[in-house]
Amino acid sequence: MSVPVMTVPGEPPAPVASAAVRAAGLRKTYGSGETAVHALAGVDVAFAAGEFTAIMGPSGSGKSTLMHCLAGLDTASGGEVWLGDTELTRLRDDQLTTLRRRRIGFVFQAFNLLPVLDARENIVLPMQLAGQRPDPAWFDAVIARLGLRERLEHRPHELSGGQQQRVAIARALLARPDVVFADEPTGNLDSRSGAEVLGLLRSSVKETGQTVVMVTHDPVAASYADRVVLLADGRLAGELTDPTAETVLDALRGLGA
Amino acid sequence: MRTVLLAQLRTHAARLIASTLAVVIAVGFVVATLVLNETSRSTVLNAVGARYVDTAAVVSSSGEPLTGDVDAVESLPSVGAVAAAWETSVQADVPGRTGSQYLAVETVADAPELRWQQLSDGRLPERTGELAVSERARAEVGDVLTISTYDAEGEVTEAQATVTGIVRLEGDPEAGLYGRAFVTEQQVRDWGATDLYELRIAAAPGSSDAQVLADVAAAVTGPDVVVRSGVEQAEHEAAMLTGDSTALTSVLLVFGTVAVVVAGLVIANTFAVLLAQRTRELALLRCVGATAKQVRRSVLGEALATGFVSSAVGVAAGIGLAGLISTLVGSDSAIPLAGLTVPAYTVLAGLLVGTLVTVLAALAPARAATRVAPLAALRPVDPAPLRSRPGLLRLVLGLLMAVPGTALLVLGVVVQSVYVGLPGGVLSFLGIVLLAQRAVPPVVAAAGGLVARIGGVPARLAAGNATRNPRRTAATATALLIGVTLTSAFVVGAASTRATATAGLDAEFPTDVVVQGFSDDLPASLPATLGDVDQVVRTAPVLAADVTGPDGEPVYVHGVDAGTAGAAMRSTDKVLLPGPGQVVVPEWAAEYYSVRDGDPFPLTADGRSLDLVAQVTGENQPLMVDAADLRTLAPEPGLAEVWVMLDDADPDAQVAAVDRVTDVVAEADETARVTGIVTMRDEINEVLDILLLVVTGLLAVAVVIALIGVGNTLALSVVERRQENGLLRALGLTRGQLRGLLAWEAVLVAGVASVLGVVVGGAYGLAGAASVLGEVGDIVLDVPWLQVAAIVVVATLAGLLASVLPARRAARTAPVAAIAAA
Repeated sequence: MSVPVMTVPGEPPAPVASAAVRAAGLRKTYGSGETAVHALAGVDVAFAAGEFTAIMGPSGSGKSTLMHCLAGLDTASGGEVWLGDTELTRLRDDQLTTLRRRRIGFVFQAFNLLPVLDARENIVLPMQLAGQRPDPAWFDAVIARLGLRERLEHRPHELSGGQQQRVAIARALLARPDVVFADEPTGNLDSRSGAEVLGLLRSSVKETGQTVVMVTHDPVAASYADRVVLLADGRLAGELTDPTAETVLDALRGLGA
Repeated sequence: MRTVLLAQLRTHAARLIASTLAVVIAVGFVVATLVLNETSRSTVLNAVGARYVDTAAVVSSSGEPLTGDVDAVESLPSVGAVAAAWETSVQADVPGRTGSQYLAVETVADAPELRWQQLSDGRLPERTGELAVSERARAEVGDVLTISTYDAEGEVTEAQATVTGIVRLEGDPEAGLYGRAFVTEQQVRDWGATDLYELRIAAAPGSSDAQVLADVAAAVTGPDVVVRSGVEQAEHEAAMLTGDSTALTSVLLVFGTVAVVVAGLVIANTFAVLLAQRTRELALLRCVGATAKQVRRSVLGEALATGFVSSAVGVAAGIGLAGLISTLVGSDSAIPLAGLTVPAYTVLAGLLVGTLVTVLAALAPARAATRVAPLAALRPVDPAPLRSRPGLLRLVLGLLMAVPGTALLVLGVVVQSVYVGLPGGVLSFLGIVLLAQRAVPPVVAAAGGLVARIGGVPARLAAGNATRNPRRTAATATALLIGVTLTSAFVVGAASTRATATAGLDAEFPTDVVVQGFSDDLPASLPATLGDVDQVVRTAPVLAADVTGPDGEPVYVHGVDAGTAGAAMRSTDKVLLPGPGQVVVPEWAAEYYSVRDGDPFPLTADGRSLDLVAQVTGENQPLMVDAADLRTLAPEPGLAEVWVMLDDADPDAQVAAVDRVTDVVAEADETARVTGIVTMRDEINEVLDILLLVVTGLLAVAVVIALIGVGNTLALSVVERRQENGLLRALGLTRGQLRGLLAWEAVLVAGVASVLGVVVGGAYGLAGAASVLGEVGDIVLDVPWLQVAAIVVVATLAGLLASVLPARRAARTAPVAAIAAA
């Protein structure tokens, strides 16, 4: 059993040379005055390149908000977010949008795919938006790894939940982004499909050095990660390396979840 | 459920604006048309029928005079009083005016209950030597007029008469033609009235009108005699005068019907989208225990409330519009409108039509709403299925309506009956709207292929969106298609109506002013003199001489120069002018001489003879030959008429011009009669212009409806695509690109819809005009290309404009909010 390493809030994060994404003093507040809700109350965290990290925490701990801010989907109320050498918190909406389509991949829990596009079109959409053509060899490799060759002409509603998530992963991997963010990617799946999806995320990290950050509330899902970051009440509440379902569960209990 | 219903209405009031407006406009249009029709009818009835409505019975004869029947009728015990309607005409000199004018003289009844004249000044005449005149005579109370009458030999008798009163003929379409005088029975007979063709009868105290009617009908009989009740006679006279206005009413009612149908479609569309939006709400209602019936009742209740409220607004708007038109048109025009006549049925019809259409339109969406399973509330939102299920049913139903409907419409054009064409038009339009769901997506796909090539990724996505979700595209396109179809049908139909009416009026009244000699010939210098009168453009002399016909008997023949006469006429459609060597023979003369078209027709005079060729015409005109031919026969023909053409000025100026012509003519020949036909044509024209202006005004409103409809549908589809757009934003679509995507989609859909709509609407406009106007006369079809092109541009821009607000809203949504809302 490994001991959670606590970070002290308010101190700048140790400079991590190989960090793909990091946040410093990240705050997110909804509303104002007495009714203000602090979803993130100053978070300092870093995610190493080529690592599979899970963000965990009880409901309302701010884990989804953290991911949205890290991915440039939401604007922070304070603090900094860095993607490699780029400070996201300084970018305008258009710059953020362009950055997202070139350097970040997404896998969401549900409504991952555009219903009007078939699987192939969904997979190449971000590159198309960026005006780029996918590398055919890499496209074939990704499709082969995810076992989608037979499904490329299917529309989303003709695919099972697991297949839809595999299409979403293929889309996220195709542009070889700096980081792939996955928000509860197995939330709507049965355990077998879920295991399959998590295995695919894990193997993409192991085999191609892809950086993956996943938000989940499922200890089993978290056990596929190299590292688990724990969040409670909008603050970092600990960290686990080489987690198992049991250690994650224990750590969560320690947070009172 | 009532609380839910009321809450729904409050919450979604803004979304219902499109359907509310559609109902208001459609109902307003129908009500205004009905009210105007009633107002016109009652105005004419009051004016023309004033002399009849209060009588018990009216005897009229189209043949034998009724002179001998007066005593018999008077002696009937049920008859209280009889007014013998003697008529004649005189020439009158009004002090202060240079010439004499033609006055039609009518009788003022002795019995007060049979006096109908409304006076604006003075009193009715009581003895000979007194007269009341209509306003057109331009005399004042106290003026002493010199009255000239002519006996059969043309001997003139002059007398003095004092004006005692001015009669208001408000609402009488013929009041502006010439002046009228009202005198005692003795006076009218002194001035030459010889025959009596009409008796107006009042009941004796205690006798019923029906009794009088029966007694009179028994007492006066004859092949040409008709006995009617006063009201019947009034309606008969009014109907003879308002033929033109009822044709216009039916044109407007055609458009009204179309507007109602369109409103129904817009409503059905809006409700369908509104309910689709509320699927989860409805499912939640089902979950907490609402039955399918309750859900349906709630939806229909919403429709009922919307329909009733907007119909009430529509009725008020329609009456207001009619009032406005009535004020603008006034009572002096050819379609006279005085005040407003609003029978209860117009209000009820408006309320009923509007409410019923709304509820009917909501029926299908309401049924769809009851099919929502309670579980839908709990299910995570899944992507909408892309293929619309009732596609085949729609196709079959659409074809079943469109094909026979179009056939019926074509039949309506061929047999020129609006009663065949109208149901055909409605049926085929409904069919086309159903088929649009199927036909629009492929057309949009084709257009999308072009757009994708020039507009980059957003355009490609928009083309994809527009073509890959056919139901949504078709719904949006259909709303605009309806609006554009209606608009172009109006524009094309109105242009054709205008062209036809103008051509018809010109043919009906080809000459502006006609000067006729009474018994003697007019002075030969008159055409030249009149040519110098201000505003007279040209004149054409009509010669005449007595010659000997083919049967050896004398006959009076007119001679015109086709070139000169044709130039002085607005139209020669209904007047046949002879060329050299020809003689125009009206049908009665052809029958009399037993000649057919093309037969030889010799004329002789004093040993000179001409072999002419007969040109038989169905129009009622005198025997007419070429002026040069007439001079060959009779070297010194007289001047029978002068045709005068005035320049195009406003009606008041033309009336003044007619007065100047009258004065000039009177100086040259005081017995000559001047008829200013131009004034009548002007009045009808003015009314047409106003009516068409009103229709054009409604067009602007139709475009606004379409704009609201498109905006509404786009706004709803933006809400519908919240997650989709959020996902696109997350994946890297910039705000500008998202706005561009929606703009491209709007332009694509609006462009296709407006082009299709213009084509379909243009065809409807032409077919409608042809089938309605075919009943009235010759049709002149007119397509205003500039306006049609403007419709396409405006509708496309309207679509683009309508996308602006929804696009801004879509672009403002943070990508994460869109995803979180899932």
